[in-house]
Amino acid sequence: MSLLSWLLPRKKPVLGLEQQQRLLQLPTASGLSDAPLRAQRWVVVDLETSGLHLNRDQVLSIGAVVIEDGAIDLSQAFERTLLRPNSPLNPSVLLHGLGPAAIAAGSEPVDALLDFMAFVGDSPLLAFHAPFDQHMLTRALKDSLDYRLQHTFMDVAALAPMLCPQVNQREAGLDQWINHFNLQVEDRHNASADALATAELALILFSRARVQGIDSPQALQQRLNQWQRRKQVHSF
Amino acid sequence: MSKSDAFLQAGKTAVLQNIHGTMQFLQRFPPFNQMENTHLAYLVEQCQLRFYAPGESIIRPTDGPVEHFYIVKQGRVVGERTHTGREEAQTTFEITTGECFPLAALLGERATRTEHRAAEDTFCLQLNKAAFIKLFALSDEFRDFALRGVSSLLDKVNQQVQQKAAETLGTQYSLNTRLGELAMRHPVTCSPKAALREAVRLMHEQQVGSIVVVDEHKAPLGIFTLRDLRQVVANGLENFDQAIDLHMTPGPFYLSPDHSAFDAAIAMTERHIAHVCLVKDQRLCGVVSERDLFSLQRVDLVHLARTIRHAPRLDTLINLRGEIGQLVERMLAHGASSTQITHIITQLNDHTVCRVIELVLADKGDPGVPFTWLCFGSEGRREQTLHTDQDNGILFEAKDAAQAAEIRQRLLPIAQQINHHLAACGFTLCKGNIMAGNPELCLSRGEWGRRFAAFIREATPENLLASTIYFDLRVVWGDEQGCAQLRRSMLEQVADNRLFQRMMADNALRHRPPVGRFREFVLERKGSDKATLDLKVQGLTPFVDGARLLALANGVEANNTLERLRQLVTLEVIEPLDGAAYEEAYHFIQQTRMQQHQLQTRENRPYSNRVDPDSLNQLDRRILREALRQAQRLQSSLALRYQL
Repeated sequence: MSLLSWLLPRKKPVLGLEQQQRLLQLPTASGLSDAPLRAQRWVVVDLETSGLHLNRDQVLSIGAVVIEDGAIDLSQAFERTLLRPNSPLNPSVLLHGLGPAAIAAGSEPVDALLDFMAFVGDSPLLAFHAPFDQHMLTRALKDSLDYRLQHTFMDVAALAPMLCPQVNQREAGLDQWINHFNLQVEDRHNASADALATAELALILFSRARVQGIDSPQALQQRLNQWQRRKQVHSF
Repeated sequence: MSKSDAFLQAGKTAVLQNIHGTMQFLQRFPPFNQMENTHLAYLVEQCQLRFYAPGESIIRPTDGPVEHFYIVKQGRVVGERTHTGREEAQTTFEITTGECFPLAALLGERATRTEHRAAEDTFCLQLNKAAFIKLFALSDEFRDFALRGVSSLLDKVNQQVQQKAAETLGTQYSLNTRLGELAMRHPVTCSPKAALREAVRLMHEQQVGSIVVVDEHKAPLGIFTLRDLRQVVANGLENFDQAIDLHMTPGPFYLSPDHSAFDAAIAMTERHIAHVCLVKDQRLCGVVSERDLFSLQRVDLVHLARTIRHAPRLDTLINLRGEIGQLVERMLAHGASSTQITHIITQLNDHTVCRVIELVLADKGDPGVPFTWLCFGSEGRREQTLHTDQDNGILFEAKDAAQAAEIRQRLLPIAQQINHHLAACGFTLCKGNIMAGNPELCLSRGEWGRRFAAFIREATPENLLASTIYFDLRVVWGDEQGCAQLRRSMLEQVADNRLFQRMMADNALRHRPPVGRFREFVLERKGSDKATLDLKVQGLTPFVDGARLLALANGVEANNTLERLRQLVTLEVIEPLDGAAYEEAYHFIQQTRMQQHQLQTRENRPYSNRVDPDSLNQLDRRILREALRQAQRLQSSLALRYQL
């Protein structure tokens, strides 16, 4: 990749006819509603990537579960490993556990991403460290589908300390929160299992939010924005 | 593209991975550890995972009929019941990881009686009712578990409701179902002058095998069945415009809708008929066909009962005892309840006793005086198991002492012969000699009356013990009038005698249920019975004694413990919730006891009521403990009532 490559017109991905039709049929994202929290369908997503570099690394697999009617629906879940033949083997294989064989056996990224967006529908997304997942997913969708991701993301990693201020965990990771709430997580070695753990955490947090009088997704987002602004002011 | 189609297939693997995790979790607990993988996967796939904050209500009585089945994935759920007249709720049970609720309410298609609340951060897997019913049908292990009423016990549930549910859910072994409930559809009828052609057309249209010919008041005049039609055709009849009354079977056999399925089955096999009319107030109200009964898997029992009733010789009866044992074994294996089994054993035993009496009378000749064969104790209460002693007596009518003595002399040889034959049939001779062949138990109505009055008047320990046996009397063979009069007079005397009641209450507290204050069993410490408890004496007797006392004191004529409890609830002597809990607990202990007996028989061990709680699985042990605690509650309510 040359230094000036960003100046050149970017190559648009080539999609098959059926793929184009599927792309056109994807629903547009709807904003957060002011209906009760329970009425909102959420997609809780967890990505495995080839590394933590925002512009260089690639999405290797997508795992997601759905929170609907205030509960995790075990009949709806999503997991795809994306076919990345050129992905170099690097140390994060140790983290996500996706060996080159699994990655080479994955789905065509275009199809996998189309499947995923159909799964998401118009629902907002939840993730632990959501900005990372949001960025990686936006880039993958742009590159593979030329699709602009406009879905709202809410960060469970931010919600948790906001709603549980008594917990003295600065910059706690998913594992720390899992331990804190004593969540029984079985078999956590793939993206959908991590998504399930995040979703269980989200259910607890939604319950805490309701207790604190935050009763709609919109109100939750507003409170989160205020909290994050205040935190930034404090840190100055 | 529909949401489901698009990723249903491709998402399968992911779903499976998370489902696999949840399955692994469930496989640590009964009944999930015994279920087939495909059934368990189905269960998990249909589940929603819900979170409840501490104090949050999960289900409550006001929510109406329960729509979901819950499994605690983590956390703790408590059941709370608000007693009438009391403000604060009482915690009645705790449900923790791997346990389920509310089985009984779900099976009974009713609201839960207890509010279920999360006691801490709790996750529950929630299964909808449709999926629950499907699993119930698919998985034997799951059905077994659900029907055994695990949390139903904790939930203090009424067994009756559960049995009803079992019927709608497809298993049914009950022989005591009312015929009225079996005859679902309207009977197909016609008038006696209807043309044969017309009648057959009606049968064809309605897809039935019989048509009942009725008069203008709906009273049955005759029945015309497919068998009759075959006869008509075979006879070469050409004119199908003839009136049906020329071809029907007149005076059809009928029973009332309150008769049991067992009665109908017996009638059918005895009379070689395939249809029984149901008649109430001389009006036809239904027809029960052989198929209605046989679909309920009564074949074995019907066959057995019929063979007993027609046994030509004593040897035949003796041989049949083994078959009764096998039948009970099969029924237990199929999950029949202990109540149903004791009932069936009682019915079969009654048939055996009647047949023995008939055979002896045929052999020795009629004594020329009518007499009634009575039974006492567990036989009187219809709570017999296969292992049973004889407790019987004879009641007859006599003008005076001299005539009584004379009749007694005539009846005693017959009674002794009957006792002897019964012993050969497996009814062990009574160690206490409570048998009709004993002159003291072959009495006229007046003599019985005086004897009973003495029990009540002079409450010595022997008399109290005797009253616990004799006051559960019932007629097995012969006229019932005398026994009914005897019972009524006995009930009046007990109701008037508060002192006797108090002594009986004291007597009922003799056997303390073996549960301690700290959730443990109190077991025998010494001897060969070390570390065991007696299911009969320590578990059932408190219920039997308590129910008897309250029944006698409140004029309840029923003998059966469960029936007594039910009637006491109706009379508002005990609270409905308590009654249901006692019933459930009694039922479970009896069931455990019978399973023990079957096990002992299979392993050729001597029969015993003692059980080592450690030999039970964790679940059964826990229920047993709860059941024994109910016995404890019943006793403390007696202590309170009689200020002991």
